[in-house]
Amino acid sequence: MFTALYFGVVGAVLALLMRVQLSVPNNDFLEAAYYNQAVTMHGLIMIFWFLSPLGVALFNYLVPLQIGAKDLAFPRLNALTYWLFLAGGLMAVLSFFVPGGAAAAGWTSYEPLAGPVYSPGPGPTMTYLGLMLMAASVTVGSVNFIATILWLRRPGMRLSDMPMFSWFALFTVVAMLFAFPSIIAAFLLVLTDRLIGTVLYAPPSILNVPGIDPSLLWDDLFWFFGHPEVYIVLLPAFGVIADITPAFTGRPLDGRNWILISVAAIVLPISFGVWMHHMFLTGIPNVLLEVFDVSTEIVSIPFGIIVIMFILSMVHGRIQFKTPLLFIVGALVLFIIGGIMGVFLSSPVLDRVYNGSYFVVSHFHYVMVGATIFGLFAGIYYWLPKMTGRMYNESLGKVHFIISFIGFNVLYAPMMLLSDMPRRIFTYQNIGDWAQLNGIATVGAFIFAGAQIIVAYNLLHTWFRGPPSGPNPWGSQSPEWSTPATGSVPVAPVETEPAGGWIGQLPGPQSASVSGPSPVSHAMSAVSHEVHLSSRPLTLSAGVMLFLTGAALYPGGAIQLSVLTIPPGVFPLALMVLGVGVFAASIVGWAWDDIRNKFVGPAGDPGGDRWPYDEVPKMKLGMWVFLSSEIVLFGTLLGAYIFIREAALEWPSPASVHDIPLATANTLILLTSGFTMAMAVYAIRKGDQRGLLGWLVATFVLGSTFIGVKISEWLGLFSGAAPFLPSSSNPVTALAASIYYVVVGLHGAHVVAGLVVLVYLMKKTARGGFTKDDHMSIENFALYWAFVEIVWCFVFPLFYLL
Amino acid sequence: MKTSTIAGVWAYMVVAVLTETATFYYVTNVTAQTVVISLLALSQATAVAIFYMQLKDEPGSIRIFALVGVMFLSALLIAMVASLG
Repeated sequence: MFTALYFGVVGAVLALLMRVQLSVPNNDFLEAAYYNQAVTMHGLIMIFWFLSPLGVALFNYLVPLQIGAKDLAFPRLNALTYWLFLAGGLMAVLSFFVPGGAAAAGWTSYEPLAGPVYSPGPGPTMTYLGLMLMAASVTVGSVNFIATILWLRRPGMRLSDMPMFSWFALFTVVAMLFAFPSIIAAFLLVLTDRLIGTVLYAPPSILNVPGIDPSLLWDDLFWFFGHPEVYIVLLPAFGVIADITPAFTGRPLDGRNWILISVAAIVLPISFGVWMHHMFLTGIPNVLLEVFDVSTEIVSIPFGIIVIMFILSMVHGRIQFKTPLLFIVGALVLFIIGGIMGVFLSSPVLDRVYNGSYFVVSHFHYVMVGATIFGLFAGIYYWLPKMTGRMYNESLGKVHFIISFIGFNVLYAPMMLLSDMPRRIFTYQNIGDWAQLNGIATVGAFIFAGAQIIVAYNLLHTWFRGPPSGPNPWGSQSPEWSTPATGSVPVAPVETEPAGGWIGQLPGPQSASVSGPSPVSHAMSAVSHEVHLSSRPLTLSAGVMLFLTGAALYPGGAIQLSVLTIPPGVFPLALMVLGVGVFAASIVGWAWDDIRNKFVGPAGDPGGDRWPYDEVPKMKLGMWVFLSSEIVLFGTLLGAYIFIREAALEWPSPASVHDIPLATANTLILLTSGFTMAMAVYAIRKGDQRGLLGWLVATFVLGSTFIGVKISEWLGLFSGAAPFLPSSSNPVTALAASIYYVVVGLHGAHVVAGLVVLVYLMKKTARGGFTKDDHMSIENFALYWAFVEIVWCFVFPLFYLL
Repeated sequence: MKTSTIAGVWAYMVVAVLTETATFYYVTNVTAQTVVISLLALSQATAVAIFYMQLKDEPGSIRIFALVGVMFLSALLIAMVASLG
């Protein structure tokens, strides 16, 4: 949470710089280049490293408490989630300080504007690589949360019994799981353009392939992620509202099931079916304008139901206007304002008028920022006594709300009226009332930002000097309050669970505990459980960050030190080598920890309510969740290929490029490795350890042969009479080579990763690490390997035959 | 899963790949070639998913992860291609 707040401060400073620049006409406070960097990085940092992570931070703390789990399903992966998130954020922030500065093409990174032709330099590359690390963090985290919620609920807690915040957490991470692969695919194509010279998003003026429009490909891939991301950011705040409103109304939430059905409808079908309203002006066919106009308006129905239920809950209850409730009311008011503005934008006709104007800026800030941040503030105030054992200053909380609410509206309401002002200009002439409205907005920005000093003070004061809050200051019935607050000393005996069990439950929400300063750092410290503390996630993330930073900076210029000059390329190369070393050591260490059973918890199944996954092992559930994300990732890339093939009026004949018999033989080798891996599973299910080792070795040999043939095939393509390279002088060949190397390369990377895991599995098998009853790693790897095989079932015909 | 099933799936995969390649060489009608090769690829992927990934033995709650992934993907593919006009 503190890391997210840190990035929030960075994003806010950038926003204030922008507002100062726009406060008066013809201002020269920021140059155009710096203004563009500020706008771009403000958007990226706020969305990816502040708003969404702040909600996920609350998930991390509260979901295990609410469902009665001791921790997340995979604690070390949870640590990896955090370190990858931090590493990605640091790369993004550090990109300001490299030659040329940070990314400056807007948070939407429209192509080809964000490509190497119009946005050269290492800064944007670093930013986008940081974004990829963040996306990897999200994928790992989503798998972890889904497995936790579906598999680690305490006995007797049915899915339908889960507190609303945990329900919203589940919906949010499901949306993340399926949305982020699309942006990973989109930025993978960007980064290969920037790093290895592919031409996937090259502007038509540089690469003229008849029929190809790279900007449309980017729009599709980006907005398939981008619109669900709005809900990913928003839902944690709505989860807070749904969860804590009853504590301030004295009665249960109205229409709980209606709310859940509505959120399910938003997350699963609707949020992924509206993205083309961001593309109304791109020239897409009229039928799509109509379909996405309707689908976008439909999304207002479930949101309407949710908001009405929230309001009814308050109307029917006896409201206590404490700080959290004030922020809830504020969030709903801001969401309704922003939502109504959104209905205007769902119309292709009105979108033509408002697109690219400050009206749009106002709309998405009301929805994404106002509703989200006010909702999350409500949660922070509400659960602060739980986190610290101390009560915040109520008066300061109310002052914080009042000033924030006023500041926010003074900031964004004038932008509603600036519907004739383009949003992507760094300065402006004194036209109409632009100067007055921008001046007012800037004043609002400083009021809103200044208000956050109050919450910072209130948080810190509460943490260190706040009065004891008691174990359940709100009288809530929600399960998280049934454990002692952090900082409180439980005096009632805590019912400890046996090995691998659940958090001890105090007899009731009001159980006695003496609050106050204490070395006890967490409720769970009162319960004995295994330790998962490992440095591997940190070093692994650091290794990746070093490597990617070196790759972004390569080759760079010479570095002049006092007594020597380091030639170009040496420093980035050193970073990459160091990064690979740290990464490899981390992977080996992680595997070695597992081989030594360093982190194996107590034996025995703790039980619990796992419907509908009673018969599914936890690791298998995690693997399937991960694979579902992989389906979207590879599917998106194959979709990009199909899109390019459909659009291109010319394409090289497959037989003119590839050696079809060789590719067929190599395909048979990979498919045979699928057979040997299935036999490996068969062997260990019979308890045949020697057979297992033999089949694993066979799989490794076949997989290595596949990669070896692939490498030789690539070398042949590089060095033939007419090299098949992205740098080819023939634009059609260049484009075909680009998409071929990216997709086939990513598949090859998956095969190589599988071979690395196979080495670990063979080593563990040789040490007798798998038995008939304990071989889940083998089963899971077989799933992964079969998935790699399935992907090739499509890659081979698409790239070699059709 | 029986060894005969594992071997049978593998044998089908081999035959399917060889048929794909033969179709590439001997079927000159582009539409027919595309349809045959696409159907063979789909059947291979389905066979691996059902047998090697054992979806046939998994509960619906696991199968849904694969289905939802495919569902999202299909929506994206259809609309992407449609956006070309």
